[in-house]
Amino acid sequence: MTETACFHGAEPILSAKNVEIKFNLRGKVLTAVRGASLDLYPGETLAIVGESGCGKSVFTKSFIGMLDKNGSVTGGQILYRGEDLTQYTTEAEWLRIRGKKIAMVFQDPMTSLNPVRTIGEQITEVITWHFGTEHEQAKREAVNLLKRVGITDAESRYRQYPGEFSGGMRQRVVIAAAIACRPEILICDEPTTALDVTVQAQILQLIRRLQKELNMTVVYITHDLGVVANVADRVSVMYAGQIIEHGTVHEIFQQPAHPYTKALLRSLPQLGVKGHALYSINGTPPNLFKEIAGDAFAPRNPEAMEIDFEQEPPSFPLSETHWAKTWLLHPYAREYRAALDERDFHIHEQRQPEQAFDYSGNPEKLLQVRDLSVRFKLAGKEFSAVDHVNFDVYKGETLSLVGESGSGKTTIGRAIMRIYQSNVTGQILYKGRPITGKLDKETVRRLRMEMQMIFQDPMASLNERAKVDYIISEGLYNYHLYKNKADRNRKVAEIMDEVGLSKDFSSRFPHEFSGGQRQRIGIARSLVMNPDFIVADEPISALDVSIRAQVINLLNKLKRERGLTYLFIAHDLSVVRFISDRIAVINKGRIVELAACEELFRHPLHPYTKALLSAVPYPDPDTERDKNPLVYDRRMHNYDADKPQWVEIVPGHFVLGNGEELALYRKEIEAS
Amino acid sequence: MEQEKRPNALLDPLKFRAAVYDQIRSEDAGFSNYSYWRSTLRTFFKSKAVVLLVGVVILLILMSVFYPIFSDVDPTRISRLPLEWNLRPSREHWFGTDTLGRDIWARAWYGVRNSFLLGFAIACSDVGFGTIAGALWGYNKKLDPFMIELYNIMTNIPSTVYLVLLAYIMNTSYLTLFISMASRGWIVEARFFRNRILSLRDSEYNIASKCLGTSMRRIAFRNIIPHIISLIIMEAALCIPYSIGAEVFMGFVGVGMPVDAITLGNIVNQGRASFTLHPYQMLLPSGILCLITVAFYVIGNKFADASDPRNHV
Amino acid sequence: MRKYILSRILRSLITVAIVFVAVFMLLRLMPLSGYFPQEILKETDEATRMTYLRNQGLLDHPLLQLWRFLQRLFQGDLGRSLTVYPKVPISTLLKEKIPVTAAFGFASMVTGIVLGIALGLLMVRYKDKWGDRAGTVYILLVRAIPSLIYLFFIQVWVSKWFHLPLVFYKNRPSSWILPTICLSLGSIAYYALWLRRFMVDEENRDYVKFAQVKGLSKKEVLRRHVFKNAVIPLTVYIPTDLLFIISGSLIIETLYAIPGTGGLLTSAIKAQDNNLVQVIVLMYAVLSVVGVFLGDLLVAFVDPRIKLTEGE
Repeated sequence: MTETACFHGAEPILSAKNVEIKFNLRGKVLTAVRGASLDLYPGETLAIVGESGCGKSVFTKSFIGMLDKNGSVTGGQILYRGEDLTQYTTEAEWLRIRGKKIAMVFQDPMTSLNPVRTIGEQITEVITWHFGTEHEQAKREAVNLLKRVGITDAESRYRQYPGEFSGGMRQRVVIAAAIACRPEILICDEPTTALDVTVQAQILQLIRRLQKELNMTVVYITHDLGVVANVADRVSVMYAGQIIEHGTVHEIFQQPAHPYTKALLRSLPQLGVKGHALYSINGTPPNLFKEIAGDAFAPRNPEAMEIDFEQEPPSFPLSETHWAKTWLLHPYAREYRAALDERDFHIHEQRQPEQAFDYSGNPEKLLQVRDLSVRFKLAGKEFSAVDHVNFDVYKGETLSLVGESGSGKTTIGRAIMRIYQSNVTGQILYKGRPITGKLDKETVRRLRMEMQMIFQDPMASLNERAKVDYIISEGLYNYHLYKNKADRNRKVAEIMDEVGLSKDFSSRFPHEFSGGQRQRIGIARSLVMNPDFIVADEPISALDVSIRAQVINLLNKLKRERGLTYLFIAHDLSVVRFISDRIAVINKGRIVELAACEELFRHPLHPYTKALLSAVPYPDPDTERDKNPLVYDRRMHNYDADKPQWVEIVPGHFVLGNGEELALYRKEIEAS
Repeated sequence: MEQEKRPNALLDPLKFRAAVYDQIRSEDAGFSNYSYWRSTLRTFFKSKAVVLLVGVVILLILMSVFYPIFSDVDPTRISRLPLEWNLRPSREHWFGTDTLGRDIWARAWYGVRNSFLLGFAIACSDVGFGTIAGALWGYNKKLDPFMIELYNIMTNIPSTVYLVLLAYIMNTSYLTLFISMASRGWIVEARFFRNRILSLRDSEYNIASKCLGTSMRRIAFRNIIPHIISLIIMEAALCIPYSIGAEVFMGFVGVGMPVDAITLGNIVNQGRASFTLHPYQMLLPSGILCLITVAFYVIGNKFADASDPRNHV
Repeated sequence: MRKYILSRILRSLITVAIVFVAVFMLLRLMPLSGYFPQEILKETDEATRMTYLRNQGLLDHPLLQLWRFLQRLFQGDLGRSLTVYPKVPISTLLKEKIPVTAAFGFASMVTGIVLGIALGLLMVRYKDKWGDRAGTVYILLVRAIPSLIYLFFIQVWVSKWFHLPLVFYKNRPSSWILPTICLSLGSIAYYALWLRRFMVDEENRDYVKFAQVKGLSKKEVLRRHVFKNAVIPLTVYIPTDLLFIISGSLIIETLYAIPGTGGLLTSAIKAQDNNLVQVIVLMYAVLSVVGVFLGDLLVAFVDPRIKLTEGE
């Protein structure tokens, strides 16, 4: 579909004007949406981008009257086919539209379906309810819908329960239920966030296909700019309850005008230069319980102007299809803007990627993992979460462990940290000495001080009932690493300064902090032990886009300054590419490929690596558009007769495969 | 799109220059000086009913402690004069007298005291042993099959049948009552706390403590107990109505306290016998008894609600 | 699924055996005076009594006594009552009393489920309004106040208001009403409490929101998704409810003079009739274990999630 052509001249089917939505939370008023406007044209795909809490979900939920009980639209209009939806008061009015004309798909397919009713019933009920279709007929239609969303064997799967479906399959069922009435508008609220990358690409493809077939308007709500580049015709960027910039996907990605949009794009790791600090946005999004004066982004924008703090900017048009709410576009700001552009241009020029990590001089092996297996019992059955895994970590490098959820990557990290013990087999050597099994107290003490872990979920990894001061000092208390109280306070203050937190925060409880700040507290807690080696378990995946760069930079800075070695566990390849020296790809408990970062991206060998790399969304509309991700199926390996081996196929590049496959890989390498 | 709302004339060109950047301001996520316990208490006492009931409970406890000390009425004094039997409530005998001429007002407060003592003892033992056993159970996987089986066996028998059985094979006394209730209560609590501790044990912040080499003792005192202390308080509060109810029931079945012991159960059961003629003999002590059980029940549940951070203001 | 049932049956059998043995052992500690009717207790001296006990085998090793008890049990001989119905075989007594207790138990279980669910629905329907508040107060009172006290007041007052009989007469159906309702009061509160809690929980789930987004009306969503999902976990509580009813029957059968096993147990205890106490307590213990087992099976049948995790 060509971007701009199709909706000009056409009437919008839905147009939201200056919508304001307020929530009443125990006596306090939260203004979640502060005057957002939007037009939807037939057949287009609009993406609404923003971080959590910016109001993007709430805004679209108001289109179908699905706000929570304590929330209401307090201003503006939502016009659908000439009717103002905000005037709807009864359920009957909404039911004419909800599900029938405007449908919605939620983020998490695991919870979107009723676990105790068959998936068939859950689709059929939509059809019978809206059209009064007779049951048998509706059933046939439901089976057709299931086929349409790519579920094979639809007749028998009709009778199955959601528990018997994988996440990706469930999302297909959810989509089938949503399109059952052939709605005009389909709102997808982070439809792929809960899914693995490879599945994500397939779901996006499916939605795109259905959109064409049914001629729907699709609204994506997402925080992932890669997804936006992949699917959107037009993009609205939302911040603190307002749409601050709107344009075609090319305009947004190539000529962003609002400082927030610019910063967001610039802070993407894909656009960073390795070895240099990533552009990062400081601070945290504003608290919407408070009145916001001026431009909501101003406090976090080092280049904000004085006017930004005083008056809310109106929207300035940049082209027919592109506008932004920022004072930078005001004629008075012309000079200032020119100066900024000039500087940005120069910053980009100067950067040269840093030399890659040098493995030639036989670097010291800090950690060696040999034949590591971890077994768990689940419902009486035993299975291997990690299956004969081998790798080394060299001193001073960042080795990334990449895999999808359930691949066993976190388990490896925890096994190294001695959190699992009895069910671990194989050997782990740290500085040449084994660290599995029973160890004497002194060795454990030394290990605890030299090896530390950073956790994924900043909400769950801090004890809510302890103050920051205690959380950071916990390690100090355990091994009495301080002379007296003053010395401990000094150490805490130093470390807080190092991770960029004000030392005044030390007397607060973790509740008070945003995700990024909490993650920095978690980092400080590990750093205070002065470790050499850190297992970072998805430290940024739970963070908002605007916060990620801060934490990535912090980790890199610490690595440089303290000579740390990281085992970085992640699922997001774009981050991994930016941060790591070498990458190990793990699938279902086995490492299938390990190579230096650029080598892996240039010459992936294992089919799983290839599928993974092809599925990664890239924040550039031109490369994303015609992407056709590869699909990996484990059944393609024939390992019955010929067992797979872990082989160093060229120096530094390991791959898992049987004789036949390895021969193929060798050929591939020679060809390139 | 929509055009500027305000006229340009008001804008000052001088404002279009770089502002001073303030790092602290950018980090502002809305500091509220939140403290868990302060918020819990504030939420708890926000309800007027709770304030009232807490007042009632304090009053009852004070009365039950001080009445036996300062009053010179002997609750066991039996009157030989039939004139003093079954007196209706009057200025002299606030709750009247019973079939043997004993002052029911005095007996009620001695009964409340004894029932409280029993209740607090049960609460301490049930919740105390329950928490410890629950912690061991939660932290030691090997105990799991054994404890689950024990739990199933003990809770598969109806509590009343269990209490009756134990009380039947022992002599009636405070100790019997205590043993029969306490020997069963702990495992119910243990199961409850085990489930809580299991979910706490595997939470990331506990794994973080493990990585930092924190000792079990510190983990218990810093990471576990602060998170379950509100549950401990709630469960302890709910033990009071339970133990009082059980005492009344056992008195009814005939395996309760000896007849001469002054407990709420005995007073109520004795009053029941003469209810048709002298309803006040049962009504008034029952009133006090119900007040106690309802107050503790409500306080326990409301406290549990208030201790949930989701309900905090 | 079959594997699950088999393993569950096996585990219940083990539990029954353990409970049986444990209760039997505990019963060996029964007061020795309870083996004699009152008049004999008065007439005989210590020595004759001990000889009698020894001859009866009541001083033998408990395990030996258990063995003998089991042997007789399989012949249908449960011994004879001593004081309550002197010399009457206990099996005859039970044959007479069990149907009465079973009928009452069943009737009040059904009443409890029906009225409990109705009350729960009412509370959800009028959440945070009068219906909910009234229900909450009812649940509070029933759960907080010792059952004996409110049951007693219901017996004396409510029977007067509605002109219902104060005690049970076998051939007057109106005398059945009050005991049945009284026996189910606790269950009603219990089911209503959990149904309300589950339904409120379910209402916040994603799939309920998704069902609403599909355009189903609130009523429809409540009926098709919320209610069904909330009732399924409620089945877990049926076994516990059975235990409740057994407990309740001790009080109610005594209060209303219903000739059932619950009332029999209280009179046996008051009269110190060891043989009778032993048989009834054992019976209740076994019944409870079996009831809990049946409840678990029921849950496995109605909840597809269990089939999935256990069945594979």
